[in-house]
Amino acid sequence: MNWPTIKLIFRRELRDQLRDRRTLFTVAIMPMLLYPLMGMAMMQVAQFMRESPSRVWIVGEEKLPASPPLIVGGKFNPTFGTAESQLIELIGSTAGDGHFESLIKSATSSSDDSSSVEEILRQEMQKRKMDLAIFIPNQIHIPERPESNLETASQDSTSPPATQVFVLTDSAIDKSRIASERVNRILNQWSKEFSKETLVANEIPTSMIQGVVFTTGDVANKTGKQAAAWSKILPFIIMIWSLTGAFYPAIDLCAGEKERGTFETLLSSPAARSEIAFGKLLTVMTFSMATSFLNLLSMGFTGIFVLTKLGSGMGAGGNLPIGIPPLASIGWLLLALIPISALFSAVALAAAAFARSSKEGQYYLVPLLMISMPLMMIPMLPAAELDFGTSLIPVSGLMLLLRSLIEANYTNCLKFVAPVCAINLACCWLAVRWVIHQFNSETVLFRASERFGIGAWIKHIMRERRSLPSLGSAILCGVVILVAKFFIGFAVTAPQNFGQFALQTVIILVATIFIPSVLMALFLTRNPRKSLRLNGCKITMAAAAILAAIFLNPMFTWLTGFIMHIYPPSGDMLMLQEAVSRILGSAPGLWAIILVFAVAPAIFEEIAFRGFILSGFQSMKGKWKPILLTSLMFGLAHGVIQQTMITFVIGLVLGLIAVQTKSILPCILFHLTHNSLAVLLSQANRTVVEQSPVLRQYLYSTDGQNYQYATFPAILMSVVGVMLIIWFLQLDLKPSNRSEAYGRVPHPN
Amino acid sequence: MIHVRNLQKTYKDIQSGQFTALAGISFDAMPGQIYGLLGPNGAGKTTALRILSTVLQPTEGSAIVNGFNVTEQPEQVRRQIGFVSCNTAIYDRMTSWELVQYFGQLYGMPLDRLHSKMNALFDRFQMNEIRDVLCSKMSTGMKQKVSIVRAMIHNPPVLIFDEATSGLDILVAREVLKTVEQLRDQGKCIVFSSHIMSEVKRLCDRVAIMNRGVILAEGTPTYLAEKHQENDMEELFYQLISRSEAQLESEKNAAGAPPNLASPLTN
Repeated sequence: MNWPTIKLIFRRELRDQLRDRRTLFTVAIMPMLLYPLMGMAMMQVAQFMRESPSRVWIVGEEKLPASPPLIVGGKFNPTFGTAESQLIELIGSTAGDGHFESLIKSATSSSDDSSSVEEILRQEMQKRKMDLAIFIPNQIHIPERPESNLETASQDSTSPPATQVFVLTDSAIDKSRIASERVNRILNQWSKEFSKETLVANEIPTSMIQGVVFTTGDVANKTGKQAAAWSKILPFIIMIWSLTGAFYPAIDLCAGEKERGTFETLLSSPAARSEIAFGKLLTVMTFSMATSFLNLLSMGFTGIFVLTKLGSGMGAGGNLPIGIPPLASIGWLLLALIPISALFSAVALAAAAFARSSKEGQYYLVPLLMISMPLMMIPMLPAAELDFGTSLIPVSGLMLLLRSLIEANYTNCLKFVAPVCAINLACCWLAVRWVIHQFNSETVLFRASERFGIGAWIKHIMRERRSLPSLGSAILCGVVILVAKFFIGFAVTAPQNFGQFALQTVIILVATIFIPSVLMALFLTRNPRKSLRLNGCKITMAAAAILAAIFLNPMFTWLTGFIMHIYPPSGDMLMLQEAVSRILGSAPGLWAIILVFAVAPAIFEEIAFRGFILSGFQSMKGKWKPILLTSLMFGLAHGVIQQTMITFVIGLVLGLIAVQTKSILPCILFHLTHNSLAVLLSQANRTVVEQSPVLRQYLYSTDGQNYQYATFPAILMSVVGVMLIIWFLQLDLKPSNRSEAYGRVPHPN
Repeated sequence: MIHVRNLQKTYKDIQSGQFTALAGISFDAMPGQIYGLLGPNGAGKTTALRILSTVLQPTEGSAIVNGFNVTEQPEQVRRQIGFVSCNTAIYDRMTSWELVQYFGQLYGMPLDRLHSKMNALFDRFQMNEIRDVLCSKMSTGMKQKVSIVRAMIHNPPVLIFDEATSGLDILVAREVLKTVEQLRDQGKCIVFSSHIMSEVKRLCDRVAIMNRGVILAEGTPTYLAEKHQENDMEELFYQLISRSEAQLESEKNAAGAPPNLASPLTN
């Protein structure tokens, strides 16, 4: 790649975009206008909210005690809340409304059930358009101390009940909720005063009901509190604007150029496709960063201004609730903007390159946001913390690292900066590779719009069938399996015994994994047997597969333990494991557990994954890419994150065996052996192990229940296992005749 | 200069499975010659020219441009050609000066040489008045002028004009044709596609009449007129295309299925 050419393209694209009013509006003008306008609107609304009095309807005001006075001069007593009493408009009681009085009277006297009273009040409240209603059914007076001593009084069931007052709100209406907050503050204060007067009247010291006084304190300093608040808001803001800011220039630079016909001119110039891609990527990145930065700036200034105004208006002395973000946080944000923008720009550019027109390009924004949003939302969860597990999640890890940096938690940052950077750089690299691939793909650059019809599409699929599955069929099969597994999860009920459990497991395997792959092999390929890799294999290969499963088992067991340590199982997962253990207790024998956990998955999963899906991915160049992608699908099909990781690694070994032996038979044997060993290890108990001198050498347990491989034998076994894998790698197979198998003729015509 | 042999290009098509845009065309174009590709819409002219300009890859066959193979040496080929398309294809938000300079720099020209060349071309095409005007403010004719200057800036030995006069008024079209003639006189090898007979008759030294991805007839205009005993180029074109379409129709009826390409006629 030639850097001056990239720079030249970048400068041209940058100038081009700066002359585009729409881009300038989105990047600069909109943030400068939007936030001040929003701030003004907020201040208006806040003013309206402050000045709008709550309409409170009080029924039975005359039944209130004279002291302490709740209502003074037609308003709530300001002693119990000066600000609140000013913002509440009390509406007179029902005096003169004979109909309502009789309704209430009958409802309160007929039964102790308060629901009928509430219903009458609710209807009246809605009719009279009140925000809140207070109903005092009986006279409230200060109770007198009973004559009997306290001990007998506490046991006396005939002591009068506490005075009941109904307070009704409509939580579906904001105004009613605000009224409720205001009234509750006054009523609580009044209730405390009432209690005090009751004690005084009965000659009981008020200190007797004080109980324990808790003194609370906050060790966080002001800067720390501000950093904690900003660390949750700022990363999200820059992420979302970085993506939005990247998207629109990307559409204009790719789909827009295609539409205007200038792309062809550029492609016929000496600039290489990768140079064009990088030039455009740098432009999109610049706009992504600029949008993010300007939005942040505008939002920050507006926010400070609005909050200051609101603070001073509320009489809080103009203090900001969360203050100005610390200066260091701005620095970290600017630094983090570079990788964030690079990642989003590359993804946006690749999506935009695929679009035929600007209009079509805009349709891709929603799916892109839908994929990105969950990753951006994870760090907003209260329990989300930067650890090894979260650091491996793209975008989320970066956001959490940024959060830690803003919070000045540098020790934690140092621990995880390497995995966060590695994973995000890897994503960035993949996205850039995708962009270059898109720019090199003729079918993407000159994609013509085709009339789509189901009939024509089915005909096209049948006509285009090849001996082995295509890449698209492999992806489709994987997606169908994932979706089917997701939906079948809703249909199944918790099994009560082993029989039900076994039946359910096998049905799920057959319905979601086996049937889709076999049907696709039958209908989408010309050679289903080859597609499913149902070939025989040499006895040595089969034996090597079994041995490899046995010798690699300690390594996989250690890996499982390591992953479980990094990502501890959730409460639900532990409950599920317990439930499964209970059900396994009712199994007719070990053979039945092995049949369900080892034989069935080994056959059905291998046919689908190492059979159909791997065959499809093998239409790509190279050996490892198909294995990697198949393993990824295999891992994802297991649903739970811990299992996904473990099965991904096992999938790599299975994929390698399948590719080298060209048969799923060794894979089935490996899978079966591996799962059987896992079952045996989980079912091993002290009696069995102690009775066997061989097992005593290989297994140990700290609690007498969960057995592990002893370290030295485990290392030895792993070495042998790895040697067996190397043996598979060096299998001397005849050169592949895949081009013939795939029906690839040099010239399709 | 340009040697095309058995050039084929097929696209995947959801309706018919495969669409053959080029079914094996061969021709040679020499320096100081204007080679005309003549054909109705969908004949495969643009596909052939896109392959020559390395924007598309051929499915089969070869094309050599000034000694470089379009498949194996695309970057060298791109340095040998100037491509002018039918839709002007210039950046609206650049001035004509900026645009030409940009492409000159892409071709690696040093700025001083580039500017003197630009000055000469802007003088020759009387474009000094519009040198600082944004292309979006220009008329179609002006845009096409800019497009031609852009294609000529690096002084390529081969120039490809893909329906370059399409949509232009008669005055601008004549100017474009005059330019093409001048370039031919300078010894450039020019491939010129069109469906306007008068242009082809006036300009082209050799002509290939195409329909549905195949060349129906090829030769100098005089040779074609003599061979088909038809002096009127438009009439000759009409006859060849009609015969080709009729033959396709009869083949379609005989086979009971629509063919996806035309069979070449013997000349």
